[in-house]
Amino acid sequence: MRANQLKTGMFVLYKDQPCTVVKCEFYFPGKGSAFARTKMKNVKTGNVYEYTFKSADMVETVDIDTVELQYLYGDLPAGKAGGDTLYFMNPRTFDQFEVPVSIFEGKEKYLLAEMKMFFNFYEGIAIGVRFPLKVTVKVTEAQEASAGNTVNAPKKPVIIETGVEVLAPLFVKEGEMIIVDTETGEYVSRA
Amino acid sequence: MKTFQKLKQNPELWQRYWVRERVIDAIREYFKGQGFHEAEVPLLLPAPSTEPFLEVFETELKDDQGNKWQGFLPSSPEFALKKLLSAGSGSVFTITKSFRNGEGRSSRHNPEFTILEWYRTPGDYMDVAEDFERLMRFILNRVHPAGPGPAGPNNIDLQGLALTYQGKQYDLNSPWEKISVAEAFAKYASVDIETMLNGSLLIAHGKRKGYQVTETTTWEEIWNQIMANEIEPKLGQNGPTILYDYPIAQAALARPAKDPRFAERFEIFMAGLELGNCFSELTDWKEQEARCKADLALRQAQGKLAFPMDNDFIDALKLGMPPTGGIAVGVDRLVALFADTPDIADTLFFPVGEMFA
Repeated sequence: MRANQLKTGMFVLYKDQPCTVVKCEFYFPGKGSAFARTKMKNVKTGNVYEYTFKSADMVETVDIDTVELQYLYGDLPAGKAGGDTLYFMNPRTFDQFEVPVSIFEGKEKYLLAEMKMFFNFYEGIAIGVRFPLKVTVKVTEAQEASAGNTVNAPKKPVIIETGVEVLAPLFVKEGEMIIVDTETGEYVSRA
Repeated sequence: MKTFQKLKQNPELWQRYWVRERVIDAIREYFKGQGFHEAEVPLLLPAPSTEPFLEVFETELKDDQGNKWQGFLPSSPEFALKKLLSAGSGSVFTITKSFRNGEGRSSRHNPEFTILEWYRTPGDYMDVAEDFERLMRFILNRVHPAGPGPAGPNNIDLQGLALTYQGKQYDLNSPWEKISVAEAFAKYASVDIETMLNGSLLIAHGKRKGYQVTETTTWEEIWNQIMANEIEPKLGQNGPTILYDYPIAQAALARPAKDPRFAERFEIFMAGLELGNCFSELTDWKEQEARCKADLALRQAQGKLAFPMDNDFIDALKLGMPPTGGIAVGVDRLVALFADTPDIADTLFFPVGEMFA
């Protein structure tokens, strides 16, 4: 493949190391031909490389298996003893998989039992996950909104069932289902 | 969620977006205080500037008689301002929109962007460098007024100013770091001046370093690849760096330097961003005409959209353009810098990614 086809999220071989393309921006320096400025993360070591390819450079892609798995259990929040691994199951074969919590990059705080998502495996090791962009969660704690403070679309912190605090509009009540954007951590709407 | 919805939901965000207004106010105030005129330039053109590698936006002008003209959106206001300079405008600036088509979406580019160009005359590129140093401190003082008193038209030499960007401090005090392209290649890439300027030597050197080289690899590609991978990451780490005197092949609109293998061009780097591109402007109409024609031929060879040559530009230069230093600065990047955000889209009310999803 040529470097001008690089896209964020692809898996490539860089200096013989399997890497995921974290960032890829094409640019034309002043009076020049096209280049791809990339940031790549070694999927085994987590090391990050920055490299600028000519658009005509050849780049080798890496074979990745993609599997949909369902969340079983894990010790969340991460960081507790033994809390670095989460357990998932292939709902078709019932095979179990151990997944390091680090590949969730913080989104594990929105994980709910039985949630399904696609994982990327390289040589049998989970190296990436396509976490749902939006999750529907129950509000487990919400203060009654105090009247009066209603200027400028005010917000209040509520706690959702995974234990995370989310800023939600004042009308959101305990026990309601809401949709949260897992990318930004922002309230989207009522479910 | 669209930006206007985010703003409604989280009114604190307005503060970040209004940084743009304050930066632009400060730019105007600075140049008016320096005796510059501000000129408006057209956004609908019969012939855009002759950039060999940029793709342009094409449109069509019609009248009520059924006449039609091919039209383009500008990729920079440069030719328009140089016509005015040749006509005797004196030092002049503009803050306007320019357009580039066919580029990847990125955190540093929007296809429609705000550009600041200023031309100091009589002057050269180093006069423009001085303007840039003072302008950056002036903007900082206006956007974050803490620090040593407000700047005024007669009090522009502010000192003791540092800009905090993404958790790192950048010293804006003069003098800024200056390094020539030849020095930078020697210091950061171990490439001597003869190798740097020689096509086959540089390509061979690049190959030894592990850059991919094929039969079609050009000097320009390896030169830019060394620049991007080995030099640019070293620039602008603690404050702005002025990288000056580019090989003549890398400066189509600049005047030759004392060493005629180089041209009087500089770029300013800070925090991984390229902030401005400056020339001692080429004023020789014959040389300019030859370079424009070569650029258009290069466009054709690459299969880019063809457009006519702006003959008015050459006619204007024939009137005699005074010695001038000029620069193009990406205002969106300046705003991102002063708003302390990594993505210029965070400072645009209507970023292209939201409108053309």
